[in-house]
Amino acid sequence: MIDLNFLSGVYVLLTYFAAAIFIIGVLIKIIVYAKTPMPVKIALTPAPQTKAGSVGRVASEILLFKSLFRANKPTWVAGYIFHVSFIILILLHFARHFIYHYHNGVVSLPSWYPLFVNAGIVFGILMFLSLFYLLFRRMIVDRVKIISIFSDYLILIILMMIAIAGLSMNFLISASALTKIDNRLDPFINGIATFHPINIPSNPYFLVHYSLILILVAYIPFSKVMHFVGVFFSPTRYMTDNPEEKRYYKPNAKDLSL
Amino acid sequence: MAKIKASYKVPILTGEIKIPKVVPGASAYEKMYPGIKEDMLAIGFPASLEDGWETKAVGIFKQLLTHNKALKTYMDICVRCGACTDKCQFFLGTADSNNMPVGRAELMRRVYRYYFTPAGSLFKGLADAEPFSEKMIKKWFTYYYQCSECRRCSYFCPYGIDTAVITMAAREIMDGIGIGQKYATEIIHKVFKIGNNLGIPPAALRNTLDDLEEEINEATGKDIKIPMDVEGAEVLLVPPSADFFAMPHMESLIGYAKVFYKAGISWTVSSYASEAGNFGMFIGSYKNTKEINKRIWDEARRLKVKRVVVGECGHAWRALYNFSNTMNGPFDFLDGKYKQPTHICDFTLGLIKDGVIKMDPSANDDKIVTFHDSCNVARASRMGDTKDGQLTIPRELIKACANHFFELRDGANKAQTYCCGAGGGILTDEVMNVRIAGSMPKMQVIKEVMDNKGVNFLALICAICKTQFTNMYPLYGFDKEMVGGVHQLVSSAIIL
Repeated sequence: MIDLNFLSGVYVLLTYFAAAIFIIGVLIKIIVYAKTPMPVKIALTPAPQTKAGSVGRVASEILLFKSLFRANKPTWVAGYIFHVSFIILILLHFARHFIYHYHNGVVSLPSWYPLFVNAGIVFGILMFLSLFYLLFRRMIVDRVKIISIFSDYLILIILMMIAIAGLSMNFLISASALTKIDNRLDPFINGIATFHPINIPSNPYFLVHYSLILILVAYIPFSKVMHFVGVFFSPTRYMTDNPEEKRYYKPNAKDLSL
Repeated sequence: MAKIKASYKVPILTGEIKIPKVVPGASAYEKMYPGIKEDMLAIGFPASLEDGWETKAVGIFKQLLTHNKALKTYMDICVRCGACTDKCQFFLGTADSNNMPVGRAELMRRVYRYYFTPAGSLFKGLADAEPFSEKMIKKWFTYYYQCSECRRCSYFCPYGIDTAVITMAAREIMDGIGIGQKYATEIIHKVFKIGNNLGIPPAALRNTLDDLEEEINEATGKDIKIPMDVEGAEVLLVPPSADFFAMPHMESLIGYAKVFYKAGISWTVSSYASEAGNFGMFIGSYKNTKEINKRIWDEARRLKVKRVVVGECGHAWRALYNFSNTMNGPFDFLDGKYKQPTHICDFTLGLIKDGVIKMDPSANDDKIVTFHDSCNVARASRMGDTKDGQLTIPRELIKACANHFFELRDGANKAQTYCCGAGGGILTDEVMNVRIAGSMPKMQVIKEVMDNKGVNFLALICAICKTQFTNMYPLYGFDKEMVGGVHQLVSSAIIL
């Protein structure tokens, strides 16, 4: 701790702060969603009659966005590309960390590492383009424009800025500067994870990218991004259609709304 | 009955459904009559807005959020992707952005964010949050009564967000502060006082049934009875009360009577539980829904029947199929061999399949039939044993009774069916323009099969659909005789 420079001190605090908000916020939402009772069966039919069927139904929504596909094809294409590239990019970032960790950084990076980096660039571009389409659509289609609120634009813009900042490190700074960031990032993350923080890479491009991600992470529990939790708790989708076969009884539902 | 007024805005039918350009507030002028004092008080709500109503509304809202998982998640997780925006018949008909499912839900989310989210209470306008105000409640009263709780939006929503849940909660909050709708509250009061939605007292009901028996006798020469309050009958039939009084609903009641007669199954209707419909559900009141539902099971117990069969009624089937067992079950005093309750279509088709009754489909050769899936049957309940029995059973039954059957266009049919435009407690004349607008998408696809296939009969399994289309057909320039129940087809085709 004593060795930290001022900038790193600030970032270390912000990192812990954002992570805490994210973890506590998401956990609270999960607990609230899971614990809130549902007074009656409201499965949207035709619905599966078994638990396994319901799991399949929810999975098809989460993995394939089935309902959105039925509703609006262009939105499905852009939405699906965004979500898939976003997930892949998160996984690639984790993978990057472990590759560095186990190969001792630039000294002995595997030969396929450039391919790995290029995959990240491709998905970064895809993520940006799909977000751009979603933003464009929000501003152009009158039905979507009229329902869009400030936070809808905010989240799109934060994500687009993250993508731009991330890509900029691959295009706007020199290879040696990037290598420097790469070599210092891995120990920094390890330091955070083991509660022995060290100095953060000080390249401004990296800091912009990192700052935006902290903002996103801390914002998630308060935002509509919580749909990634809520989608598991939507009664119209996860409920089984078997009220005649098995009594669905909620004694605490008395006298309240359906 | 609806009178044809010059002020009605009836769309021109082209057979196509066009997505209109958004006009905010286009249907703001259509409002329900407010609840009458004695009805409101009788079903447990304050008669009108009282001082401190905002606090009370927040209290009810909070209680709903902590006791209804669907409402809580649906307040949080909408991403305003717009998938639902062109799916609601009321938006397609009125072009009002508040009638887009997400627009409707946002009316509640704005208030939700203000009281229940940190961003809303900190940043207010920037977070698109606003407190309860009379202006807001006026908007709620307008637009939460321009929703038929048909759940078409939920079908298309990536998270299954169900506007019916939100509409019901909004109505429950409004009722709780004394802002009720005359139509639904009056009807619920009538059910408790008299036994059915139409307010038909037992003696009048028996008279009607006597007349009907005579009519059947004249037409068939058979001694077909419609028994009432008979203890020890095998089946308690619970139809929507419109089946006793309104046309074309009564044709279906005649159909049920013929089926029971020919199958030799003893049955009865009840003067106490003479109503399958449950308007408690429409206003989202668990208490009223349960009380109305309980009448039927109390009566089944009193009359010592073996099973309960439900007539052609959409939301009644949802309330009975989905909520009965939760609210007033288990039904171990009834015969465990049967599903409790059974839908009349399932019941009749079962008898046909077992060879107990026979049909002569050529009796309906003058009819070219199409079928409208009622929203509360197609998207909210099952029928029979298979996953999509509610879609296949009525169709199989129609095909057993008629030789000429054509489907409506895909995308406006089965689970994607458009509502008739009057479900969810808005089948009332003061919002006739909303009903006309809401019926437009379905009328367009009906027009399409009329033009292409010569369809001249719309078969229905819902009392609200029957009344709505009987009102709409003349407005759009069609003969209202072209609307009827599935059991009207059964009635003509059954070999007695």
